[in-house]
Formats: sequence, C-alpha cells, structure tokens
Amino acid sequence: MEFAIDAAMRERIEEAREVGQREIRPAGLEADRNAAPIPVGDPFFDRCLERGEGRTRWAGPNAPKSKPRKSNVILSLLLAEELAYWDRGVINATPGPGLPEQSVIGMGTDEQKERFLGPFLEPDKPRWACFGMTEPGAGSDAAAIRTLARRDGDHWILNGAKCFIGAASRSDWLLIQATVDPSKGRAAQRAFLVEQGTPGLGGFKIEKKMGLKAYESTSFTLEDVRLPASNLLGGEERYERKAGFKAAMQTFNAGRPVIAANAVGIARAALDESIRFARETDLLGRDRVRDRIEAIARKVRKARLICLRAGWLADQQRANIIEASMSKAMAAQVAQEAASMGLELLGLVGGRGDHLIEKLYRDAKAMDIVEGTGQIQRMIIARQLVGLPR
Amino acid sequence: MFDLDPGDELALIVDTARKLAETELTPRMRESEAARAVDAGLLAAWDEVGLAALELPERHDGAGLGCVARVLVNEELAAGDAGAALALDPFGPALTTLLEVGGDDAVTALTSALDHGASRAILVIVDAVDVSADTLTLDAAWVPADEAGAVVVLAGSDAFLVTEGISLERVRGAGLRAAGAARLELEGASIAGRWTDAAGAERARARARLHAASLLLGVMRSACDFSTAYSQEREAFGKPIGHHQALAFLMVDMRMALDAARLLVHEAAWRVDRALPCAAEAAAAWAECIEASRLIGPNGVQVLGGHGFMADYPVEKHMRESRALGLLFGGYDAAIEEAGQRLVETDTPLDLGQSGAL
Ligand SMILES: Cc1cc2nc3c(=O)[nH]c(=O)nc-3n(C[C@H](O)[C@H](O)[C@H](O)COP(=O)(O)OP(=O)(O)OC[C@H]3O[C@@H](n4cnc5c(N)ncnc54)[C@H](O)[C@@H]3O)c2cc1C
Repeated sequence: MEFAIDAAMRERIEEAREVGQREIRPAGLEADRNAAPIPVGDPFFDRCLERGEGRTRWAGPNAPKSKPRKSNVILSLLLAEELAYWDRGVINATPGPGLPEQSVIGMGTDEQKERFLGPFLEPDKPRWACFGMTEPGAGSDAAAIRTLARRDGDHWILNGAKCFIGAASRSDWLLIQATVDPSKGRAAQRAFLVEQGTPGLGGFKIEKKMGLKAYESTSFTLEDVRLPASNLLGGEERYERKAGFKAAMQTFNAGRPVIAANAVGIARAALDESIRFARETDLLGRDRVRDRIEAIARKVRKARLICLRAGWLADQQRANIIEASMSKAMAAQVAQEAASMGLELLGLVGGRGDHLIEKLYRDAKAMDIVEGTGQIQRMIIARQLVGLPR
Repeated sequence: MFDLDPGDELALIVDTARKLAETELTPRMRESEAARAVDAGLLAAWDEVGLAALELPERHDGAGLGCVARVLVNEELAAGDAGAALALDPFGPALTTLLEVGGDDAVTALTSALDHGASRAILVIVDAVDVSADTLTLDAAWVPADEAGAVVVLAGSDAFLVTEGISLERVRGAGLRAAGAARLELEGASIAGRWTDAAGAERARARARLHAASLLLGVMRSACDFSTAYSQEREAFGKPIGHHQALAFLMVDMRMALDAARLLVHEAAWRVDRALPCAAEAAAAWAECIEASRLIGPNGVQVLGGHGFMADYPVEKHMRESRALGLLFGGYDAAIEEAGQRLVETDTPLDLGQSGAL
C-alpha cells in the first residue's frame, strides 16, 4: 500500500499551483464580479496558448501507431483538484477541444480527426469545441433527447434545441447528440460534428448562472441544419453496430472522478479560506470555530481519497462504476457543505457578497448537477449494490 | 388547550400578507433585486394593506400586535421576497428591541427619528460595543440595507439608538439585495438614546432571532413549494421527476425540516407573547431554521437540476438568500451558545407541564 505521490507528480502540481495563483484565481474573481464569461479576445486565453494549453491530445495524422500510453488518471485527478482549487469556472473556460475530444479520438474517422482536431494541434489562436447533449426537455434522461436527425440523400438535417452547453457560442464546432427516432431511445441516437456558422445553427443565449461565471453555458437552436454525411461521428458503419448512445455516455463516464476532483478542489479552497479568516480575526482559539474547520478538513480528506480510489482503479484497468459515481456524489456534497460551513464561520462578512467563500458556495452547487446529478449517481450505485431495477 | 390555529383575526392578517406577496412581491422579485430597492408601486401597495407598524403599540398609532403575528406575517412576505420584506418594513426588529429594552420613550425616539424622511431602522446585535462618553463606534461587515435613518445596537443589556453619523458603504451582497447591502460603520457616532434592561435585552434578542427565523421560514417554504411543484411537471425516465423515490424522499426530508423548524419558531413566539421564558427557545428555533436552510437551500436548486442553477428560476435566489439570512444576528454559533447555556441551567429542561408550557 502506498499513499504518497511521486516527485514527478508533485512537480506538475507545483506548476498548476503557480499558474493557478497568478492567473486562474484572479480571472475567476473578475468574471464573477463582471457576472459574465471571460470574453473570447481576452489576453488570458493567449497566455493559455503560450503555456501550451488549448491543444489536442490527438497525436496527429502522421504519428506512428504506437502502443497507447499507460494512463495516469491519478495525476489528472490531482491536477483537476489543484486547478479547481484556484477556480473551477476558469478551468472550463480554457480553450481546447474539451469534452468531445475523447469521443472524436475514440470514434472519429481519420478524416474527422484531421478535420476537427487538426486545428487544435498547433492552434493559431484560442479555439474551443463543445459537447451538446442536454436539451430544455431532457438532461438526466439523456435517452429522451428530441433533437431530430433526418436523412436527406447524402446529407443529414438537424432540428432541435440544446441548453447549458459550455462554450457553445465560441466553439469552432459542436458535437451534437441527436436522434433519428425519438421513440427508439438510445439505439436511435447519433452524434454529429456541426461547424460554427452552419446555416440554421443559431439563437445563442448565454445563460445567467448562479456561479461558475467565468465560462459560458449557452442555449441554442438547430433549424434545418444541413450536414454532409461525413459529419456523422465515426461514419455510418459505426451506427450499424449500434454504438451511438454509448459514445456519448463514454464521455460522461470518464468525467465523473474529474468532477469529483474539481469538487475536492473547491472544498479545499473553502477550507483554506476559512482557516485564513479565522487566523486573521483571532478566532482559531475558539472551539466552535476549530470544530468547524476540523469537520471541513475531514470531509475534504475523505472525498479526496474516495476520488483517488476511483482513479487508481481506472489506472489498474479495473471496474470502477460504483467508485466513480460514489466519488462524484460525495465530493459534490462535500464541496457544498465546506463552503456553507465556511460562510457561517465568516459571519456577516459572508453576507457581503465579495468573499471567495461566498463565490465557492455558488460555484459548488453545479458539481452536484453536471455530468449526472447526485441522484443519478446514487441510482447507478444502487443498481450495482442492490440490483435496483432500471 | 393546545391549538395551532392562529384565530380569525390573525388569519385575516396573514391572508393579507400572503396576497401581497403573491401579487406584488413575487412577480417583482428579480426587478427589486436588480434595483436594490422596492419600487414606488410596491410601496404604495404596502401602504394600502396596512401591515406596517405591526408591533408598534397602539398608543403610538401602531397595530400593537405581538411576536406570533410578526412571525406569521414575515413568513408570508418572505415567501414572496425576503429582501423586499426587509425593505418594506421601516422598523424591523429595531423596534421590538427598543420596545423591550427602553419601553415607550425609546419607541418615541425611534419613530420620531424615522419621521424625518429617512427610511429604515437597522438593528445590529453585538457582544460588546465601543462606547466613550456619548458616542459609539462600531463596524458591521454587512447589513441588508443601502440607507438607514436610524441604527439600533443591542449589546449585552444595553440598547443604543443612533440617528446621525451613520455611514453605509455599499457592497454587492450575497442575497437580499432588494433591501440593499452595505458595510455599516459608526465612527464615534453620537448616541441619541441609551437604555439598559437585562431581561428586556434577552427578550429583544429572542424577538430579533425570531424575526430573522420567520423570514428564513418564508424563503425555505418558497424553495420547497417551487421545487415540489416543478417536480410534478418535469419528466425524466417516463414519469414526473417527483415520482422517483430518490428525489421524492429528498423533498419529503426538506418538508419535514421546514415543518419542524416552523413549529419551534411558533412556540417560541408564543412564549414571547405570553411573557414566558423564551431566550433558549428562540435561540434554538433560530438554530433549527439555519440547519434546515443548509438542507433546503441547495436542494431546492438540486431538484431543478441544471435549470435550478440559472437565474430564470427563483431557487438559486432562495439558496443564496437562505444562507445569507442565517448569518444575521450572531448566526448559528451565538444561537446554539445561548440555547445550550440555558439548557444546562436545569436538570430536566424538557419536563412536560413546567409552568404550563411545553
Ligand atoms: C454549469 C452547467 C454546465 C453544463 N454544461 C453542459 C455541457 O457542456 N453539455 C451538456 O450537454 N450539458 C451541460 N449541462 C447540463 C447538465 O448535464 C444537466 O443539467 C444535468 O444532466 C441535469 O439535467 P437537467 O438539468 O435537465 O435536470 P433534470 O434531468 O430535469 O433533473 C431534475 C431533477 O430530477 C432528478 N432526477 C432525474 N431523474 C431522476 C431519477 N430517475 N431518480 C431520481 N431523481 C431524478 C435530478 O437528479 C434532478 O434533481 C450543464 C449544466 C450546468 C448546470
């Protein structure tokens, strides 16, 4: 058994900490004050590119077919925690192929990888992509989406509406989940690569969110959006093998422990801010204050371990369905509680609306909603644990 | 006899408050929040229903009602918009504080201070205050107000009235913005009146806590009602989300927390009106409301999923405001401190039938 992290990891975390403190935290606070996402042309994004961010993990068209690298989910979770510690919203604002990248790498044709991920190899400017699953009428029940894909010769025509999609209005392209027959559930779903500017794609509305204001969550409509068949992710044969819905759910699966790690980062930020405040105001000697800080710290530690367990299992190529869902269900709640307790510790200062913990309290809530709500995670666990029927 | 009905007269007043909340406060909720104020139309509607000066004694041309009336009305108003409820009431718990600690003279001093066009009186509760000669110095990180014609400071057994030298520096506010949000500073402000009464101060603290607690009840009720109603309309996996047990039981827990907290508030308010010991009970009721709000605030949002996170729905406001309300008047820690202290003064504090109360 080994609970330590190695020097190489520590170095990466140190780098993240440095950027977090210098760039990420201030950007998040400013976006929150402005109540608007970081604008597309903001120099912050240029600096992201300069640091080597915003690029695809796809190796490129001419890369030798090497054996896949050994995964290091643990490292990615530690970094997800560290970065979210500085600002979860800003992490999501960072340019890059984002959520749909994995689906395109895993399922896209060679031509699609080149076309859609190619520009992210050495981006000439900040570029984004997004994944559009959620609709006004369907979120948790992803099998119930209504965006319709109709075949028209060698084209597809998309009609529907999406909501809360991260970075949608600034994305080069959007991976849109649609259905060829709403009555057939998952089996009838297809994923389409829709380029920005395609006629019929529009009505972008950036939502007013309670928290995580640094990145845009956007609603939009698809009205007779006409796409060549080559924009169907993975091409037609893939769907004959009925892989449509699974493709989307794979994106979600990989995400759960990452969201959990983000939540741990938020909780840890609330802890540190609580301690700082208590120290500055000479409250650390009070039992009630110390008890609260101890409780927050314990919650952060247990959530972190639960989260790392899910990552470790993944690195071992062992099943982690229960553990991944558990990490997200628990860490999201811990983040909320930590921020809530922190606010109580601040007292009236918490009511001013300008303290970091107050922001964390608002930001944290989304962790229990995105990529499968707390209830959905519990359902997933219960199916495994007690055979809860679908 | 044990009876939870408010009686006809009070029921009528409560009904009036509810109607005002439904027709005027709720619809303008976002407007008031953005404007950091209630608009003239709302003020006119408020004046018309005559809910102002609820606890002002009749000899001061008030309604002369008690704490039970206050908590019932507050819940209704705050169910509409807690910020507006604060903004509309010129006296708030500043009045009951002066009434309890200073009596008639103090009330006269307050009403005449607010007469001069100034809007509201703010109550600040502190452990101790910096007084020298006839001036007072104090710094409160947040009060839900942009302007104040009077500040009442309750410190230990003393109540102070300050009407000049009130400095309010606006801040964003975590919630309740309809009432404004500011840092309050009194820098050697001259004291317009000082009254001392230990027993009165204890009752004043109890009433202030119940004032805030009942506003919190209103916010929590709204969060429960809104999310429960939403859960009957919204469908996922082939049925209303509220019919999935994982969500249904969460909403049941929210409702149980609300109902229990409300009963504690009502019982404590009843004690205030009957001049029974009420300090521990009011503090406990306030603590219970804050605990309930930790559950209800965030979960009101949770029930709406991603939609709850957006300003298109009121539940994110409920979440912020229920948390902010719970920070007032010493918040949770001071409340459990006081409730706990009193509890250990007797061996069998919850004996049935002591002094005719539960
Ligand atoms: C900040 C933010 C960013 C987002 N970014 C994206 C994005 O980039 N791309 C994207 O596609 N989506 C995105 N989403 C949407 C997110 O994935 C959905 O909000 C989430 O899946 C929940 O769906 P919903 O909002 O429709 O809630 P609903 O599905 O309507 O759920 C409402 C409530 O019902 C509960 N519920 C539903 N089914 C059950 C059940 N069977 N048992 C018990 N309870 C149940 C839920 O837990 C929830 O409490 C984002 C959302 C937010 C808040």
